[in-house]
Amino acid sequence: MKNKYLFGGGIIVVFLALMSYLFTQTNVSYQEDFSLIMNTEKTVRATGEWVKSKSYQLDNEKKIFSFYMKDYKGNEMRVVYNGAMPNNFESSTSVVVTGKYHDGYFYASDILTKCPSKYEEQFDANASS
Amino acid sequence: MVGNIILTIGLLASLFTLVMYFLTMKGYNNTKPLARIGYHTTAIMIIASSALLLYAILTHQYQYNYVYNYSGSGMSTGLLMSTFWGGQEGSLMLWLFFSGIVGLILLDYTAKRGDLEERTMFFFTLTVAFLLVLLNPLLKSPFQYIWSDPTFINAKNINASFLSLPFVQNFIFTDPNNGSTFVQINQDLYALLAGSGISVNDFIIEGKGLNPLLQNFWMQIHPPVMFIGFSMAAAPFAFALAAIVKNEYSEWIKQSLPWVLSGMMLLGLAIMLGGYWAYGVLGWGGYWGWDPVENSSLVPWIVGVALIHTMLIQKKSQSNGGNGRFVKTNLILAVLTFVLVLYSTFLTRSGILGDSSVHSFVSPGMLVYFFLVLFIGTFIIIGAGGIAYRWKYLNERYNDESNGLSRELALFTGAVTLLASATIVLVGTSAPIFGQSVEIRFYNELHLPIAIIIGILNGLSLLLKWKFTEKKDLFKNLKTSLIGASALTLLIVLFGGVYNLMLIVFTFAAVFALAVNLEIAVKIFKGKKTHLGAYVSHTGIALFMLGVIATGHFTLEKQVDLVKGETREVLGYELTFAGYTPIDNGKKFAFNIDIGKNGNIKNRVAPVMYVAEFNNSLMREPDILNMITKDFYVSPLGYSEGGANQHSHGEMYTLRKGNSVEFHDATITFTGFEFPEESMSSMMGGGSFQIGALLTISMNGKTYETKTIMESKGGDRSYIPAEVPEANLKIEMSSLDAAGTIMVSLSSLDETESTPMHMQKETLSIEASIKPFINLIWAGVIVLVVGFVLSTVRRTKESTK
Repeated sequence: MKNKYLFGGGIIVVFLALMSYLFTQTNVSYQEDFSLIMNTEKTVRATGEWVKSKSYQLDNEKKIFSFYMKDYKGNEMRVVYNGAMPNNFESSTSVVVTGKYHDGYFYASDILTKCPSKYEEQFDANASS
Repeated sequence: MVGNIILTIGLLASLFTLVMYFLTMKGYNNTKPLARIGYHTTAIMIIASSALLLYAILTHQYQYNYVYNYSGSGMSTGLLMSTFWGGQEGSLMLWLFFSGIVGLILLDYTAKRGDLEERTMFFFTLTVAFLLVLLNPLLKSPFQYIWSDPTFINAKNINASFLSLPFVQNFIFTDPNNGSTFVQINQDLYALLAGSGISVNDFIIEGKGLNPLLQNFWMQIHPPVMFIGFSMAAAPFAFALAAIVKNEYSEWIKQSLPWVLSGMMLLGLAIMLGGYWAYGVLGWGGYWGWDPVENSSLVPWIVGVALIHTMLIQKKSQSNGGNGRFVKTNLILAVLTFVLVLYSTFLTRSGILGDSSVHSFVSPGMLVYFFLVLFIGTFIIIGAGGIAYRWKYLNERYNDESNGLSRELALFTGAVTLLASATIVLVGTSAPIFGQSVEIRFYNELHLPIAIIIGILNGLSLLLKWKFTEKKDLFKNLKTSLIGASALTLLIVLFGGVYNLMLIVFTFAAVFALAVNLEIAVKIFKGKKTHLGAYVSHTGIALFMLGVIATGHFTLEKQVDLVKGETREVLGYELTFAGYTPIDNGKKFAFNIDIGKNGNIKNRVAPVMYVAEFNNSLMREPDILNMITKDFYVSPLGYSEGGANQHSHGEMYTLRKGNSVEFHDATITFTGFEFPEESMSSMMGGGSFQIGALLTISMNGKTYETKTIMESKGGDRSYIPAEVPEANLKIEMSSLDAAGTIMVSLSSLDETESTPMHMQKETLSIEASIKPFINLIWAGVIVLVVGFVLSTVRRTKESTK
């Protein structure tokens, strides 16, 4: 009786320990402040806005897609992505990139774009400002 | 208006039903017929409001905000119907609709079983009532009129003949950034229109349309199946609570087993239909991406499947008299399955996963957020509270020991392993709530040992007897499958080149499970066919696992550029790009690729790319050559036309008005559009017109003005490039959109002329991959579903005994 609980409890403890360990190992935190991203070598998920005024660049031969991103404070960084432009990048309002900052570039392994749910609302804001 | 009234009557009827069922439970005799009338009224109102929404969609009633936002003209009837659940309100409506229907069936089912009806239907009606509250006009009603909140509508969606009406002029706005025109519709405009006898349905003639990602067959099938599964998950919850109310824990197991089985069958099927959608149409390249939305529906499924196993133990152990074992576990898991369905809804609807999922979420507002918390909180409190209330009683009476080596223990271990898997997925998926997230590695690495345990248990449990098995007997039974599985694993390891130890063990586990299940299934097939269900579904799981191993570890990928007419070898196949053909009335383009082997062209795939008007974005759809043992998967990445006007040669830039780019030593600024008056009127009349993009080039202190022109004739656009010899610059526009951006390619003039050999030809960039044995995944799922169906049939028959 006692042994059963000890055994079961032991398995649960080992399982939870293993899960927590892997959680810390694979954990990617969100970062909204780019100045902090530039000072770390860790993989992060940066959330910000695509700097439309600086355009984006497509290198068809090397298959590199790059653009500038800025955070809520206005810090800018250049994002480099090895692959095609995401399906609805141009109409996106905010961008989430996963990757590492290294030598002046943010090397993204994944780009997620968020689209405005209602274009009109945006227009409304523009028109009234 | 009518819709909201019907929904409100439905809500009132459901509240009435709740009271009547409650009184029936309290012992009143004459309230049960009233409760039934109440529930039927609720269901009729739900069906009527769903029918009304569908009618509004099919007849394009853009006076409804929901229809305007998610639907549009020019879609096939099937797709048009799928706009019903294209948005948040409509998909909640779909959930409500199926809940209403499931409730009718549940009412009929429980009415035949004594006092089960009032206890079960009370809790089921409670979920229906909550959904009805969620769909009321203050929260998420799909019947809101478009003018109830001021809404800007693009002028192209308005009937042009009304745009010149004098009173409409006050409501017309022009976006200074891009020149597009909007009409703001609000209460005032509605009053004016109504005063002139113009109906809003005539005024607004086109909706925004459905997101092109959702415009395909799978959108028509995946969400409905998912929501039937969601609706049915409320049934085991209701049965468990019914048992708690009566404090009698024997009957509910066999009564609810068919419901759990069929519910989980549909939920599992829906999850994998979504997987096939992602793989075959959306071009994710795989069937599973551990995306939070996928995960959130997977968790209740895993817990529901664990529940099936522990319910079987309780049912089997009842044969000795009494209530059987795992009484408490079953109550907890039945409650948990439904609570996790609600949690999934909360995660995907509250906007909390906004930054972490590819599924687009709209934040629904604070009120809805709090209501969702209230919804899930209520059911946690009812479930956990009910169990806690009876805990002392349960703990004293049901604390049986299980024996050593028995099928019972194996099933229990299997259930615990499934719960561990559910915990992992739940933790990873919930991490974004705390501003964290995990890499996909987290799920994969933790699931490898779990999958091994499940594979081995999957085979082993079937060889064990329910009570106790002699080790001698076990080895005798094991021999054939063990030898067979070892031999097959060895073959896979040698020929497949698997050198990872864990992977070898996993392969063995999957093959072992397959061998045992097939062996027993064949034996049973000759005897009692009704008992086949478990073996068939476990065979499906084993096939699925083999598919996971094969595609997960032997997939080959390569990115290549295919020049038109030139054959290129890719991953052992000869690919030739044969040009593109317009499809779907010229809205989309299919890029034909011939696939050959050893000089013979055998097959053709045609991935699709197009620019969707909906969001002005390039959309890509993969194409797959299915070869039974493997898929040749082609996703398009990009295309360049080549020829003399080739712009792929230069560098592509996207410019907004006022933006500038640097190219070599020049700074190019896009100062604005040139849109002559006559062009404007010609465009309005549908004739040909020109729009120029004005550019300023400054270089070495000098400034040059130039423009590049877009010409539209009969709907065909052509572009006239600008050349600035002084700056050695060629600028060609390649697209222009209403949002006020242009795309230009910049190149040096001399470069194009002096190096003709660099002239690019028509080139298609693709990502090709070979997915070995991916058909095992789909075959596994189909076999699994068939197994579930067989089990449901058997357990339904047993439930009346």
